[in-house]
Amino acid sequence: MPVNEELRVLKTLSYDATHYSLFVQAGSIGALTRPGHFAMLQAGDGLRPYLRRAFSIADVTTVAGVPALEFVVKVVGVGTAALAHFAEGTPLPVLGPLGVPFPIDDLGRDDRVALVAGGIGLAPLVLLSRVLAARGVTAELFYGGRNEKDVLKRADFERFLGAHRCAYATDDGSLGRKGLVTELLQRELSAGKTYKRLYACGPVPLFRALARIADEADLETSFALESEMACGFGVCLGCVVPARDGRFATVCKEGPCLPHTAIDWSRV
Amino acid sequence: MSVDLAVRLGPLALRNPIATASGTFGYGLEFEGYVDLGGLGAISVKGLSRRPCHGNPPPRICEVDAGMLNAIGLQNIGIDTFLGERLPLLHAKGATVIANIWGDTEDEYVEVLERIGDDARVAAIELNVSCPNVVKGGMVFGNDPVALAALVKRCRVATKLPLVVKLSPNSGDIVAAARAAVDSGADILSLINTLVGLAIDLERREPKIGFTTGGLSGPAIRPIALRMVWEVRRALPNVPLFGMGGIETVENVLEFLVAGATAVQVGTANFRDPFVSGRLVKELAAWCDRHGVDRVADLVGTLKTRPRPEHTFAKA
Repeated sequence: MPVNEELRVLKTLSYDATHYSLFVQAGSIGALTRPGHFAMLQAGDGLRPYLRRAFSIADVTTVAGVPALEFVVKVVGVGTAALAHFAEGTPLPVLGPLGVPFPIDDLGRDDRVALVAGGIGLAPLVLLSRVLAARGVTAELFYGGRNEKDVLKRADFERFLGAHRCAYATDDGSLGRKGLVTELLQRELSAGKTYKRLYACGPVPLFRALARIADEADLETSFALESEMACGFGVCLGCVVPARDGRFATVCKEGPCLPHTAIDWSRV
Repeated sequence: MSVDLAVRLGPLALRNPIATASGTFGYGLEFEGYVDLGGLGAISVKGLSRRPCHGNPPPRICEVDAGMLNAIGLQNIGIDTFLGERLPLLHAKGATVIANIWGDTEDEYVEVLERIGDDARVAAIELNVSCPNVVKGGMVFGNDPVALAALVKRCRVATKLPLVVKLSPNSGDIVAAARAAVDSGADILSLINTLVGLAIDLERREPKIGFTTGGLSGPAIRPIALRMVWEVRRALPNVPLFGMGGIETVENVLEFLVAGATAVQVGTANFRDPFVSGRLVKELAAWCDRHGVDRVADLVGTLKTRPRPEHTFAKA
């Protein structure tokens, strides 16, 4: 059962003009959070922004010894802009953890998995990396962005997974390979490497490409989908994606983590 | 002092005037843990059709200043699943359930009513004749008093349960629609449904909503909703009304009561704050206590208006 709490802002860490990490007290949400969960944050009690915003819980960590939730945010509108400007100590209403997390319970020390992030899609993969590392699961990260500034929290990924298991791709070649992140994954698959599961988060074109790759390579997947949500708990039905069975599936309740086979990509 | 919160809307008695609006409260059970479902005046469930409905392709919603647009397209689990799986659980929680129903044709409305029959676990029927987000049905009935009258007449015959008709604010003349519904057998009216709006993604020069237009809800529409409640109350003072549109606070609830609604439905606010409806019940009692109001029903329709003066001109 998700919890609604007023959690105080502990720190806002700005990466550049459009990316930041927001750290709030973990409250009782921290202990309930699994990789892939999300939370609904309310940026003040004004009418603009009016609705809460959905964010992946990027990490359950500490700030100066205080248990904290981390959200990695890209400024795309009034809500994400407003959340950047709350002073330390400001209480924010947070509802979470919400949704279906990544399936990881079946993974053990002998397993290898792939993590693919595109741009701000890194968010749910941070805590996933932390948890998989703690369990001794081998996880390889493939992370792409337009340029070096788009590729965030590299130090954390490399600390959890090992730098040799983190590969990057950028459109302009400013970091890692110049090209698409899917090419990094393709190269490994072509070399005969196998993965027990592919975890991914990013924009729709990335998901679409990964779905194709997964079909060809017969790879099991879990995609953390993103969608605008009004409620976050299955009521407004605003966040849906076309499902393969002809329905529309709620990203907030049936997801956000869904296998690519659940989604009808021809209707996305 | 204990405040009497009970209200009566014709044949429908409610323990208090705080209900939740269809489409914003799921089938009620989604709010377990946030709200005491049995403590609310009533729960109007997501609009039910004779078969499960998939709704519209996304994008379905977008935020606007002080509210949101939606074009969900009446996605729902269908009347049979509701009656078989959800209603028993809602009833066990002590909830007062309003079954909001819709169809593409008169026959489809009647078919849903026949499935419900005289199920005593349903406190009232609410006819959705005002959904702006479907091509067929919905607002087609709500915007034409003649079509509305014919539909309500057939539904009146098809059910003995208290009959609520939910009116569209998009029809041009809401009083005409109100009269048509009441003359055809509606016991209660609820108003307003969402106002048709448009939001634009400027970079793409596309509507933000896949359906092109969407229904505007939230605090942005409250003054319009209040005005319409007041107009209908003035025209039909003996018809009980559910008022709704942008209710967030206990003051907003009271504004609707004073304007002439006997009870209210809380809508979009449930998305932003899932606890709000339960909290409003407590806050309403506290407000009445503070203001020396023994019976909340005494506040209904107490708006004092002055005659509107004619304009005057300066002397030449």
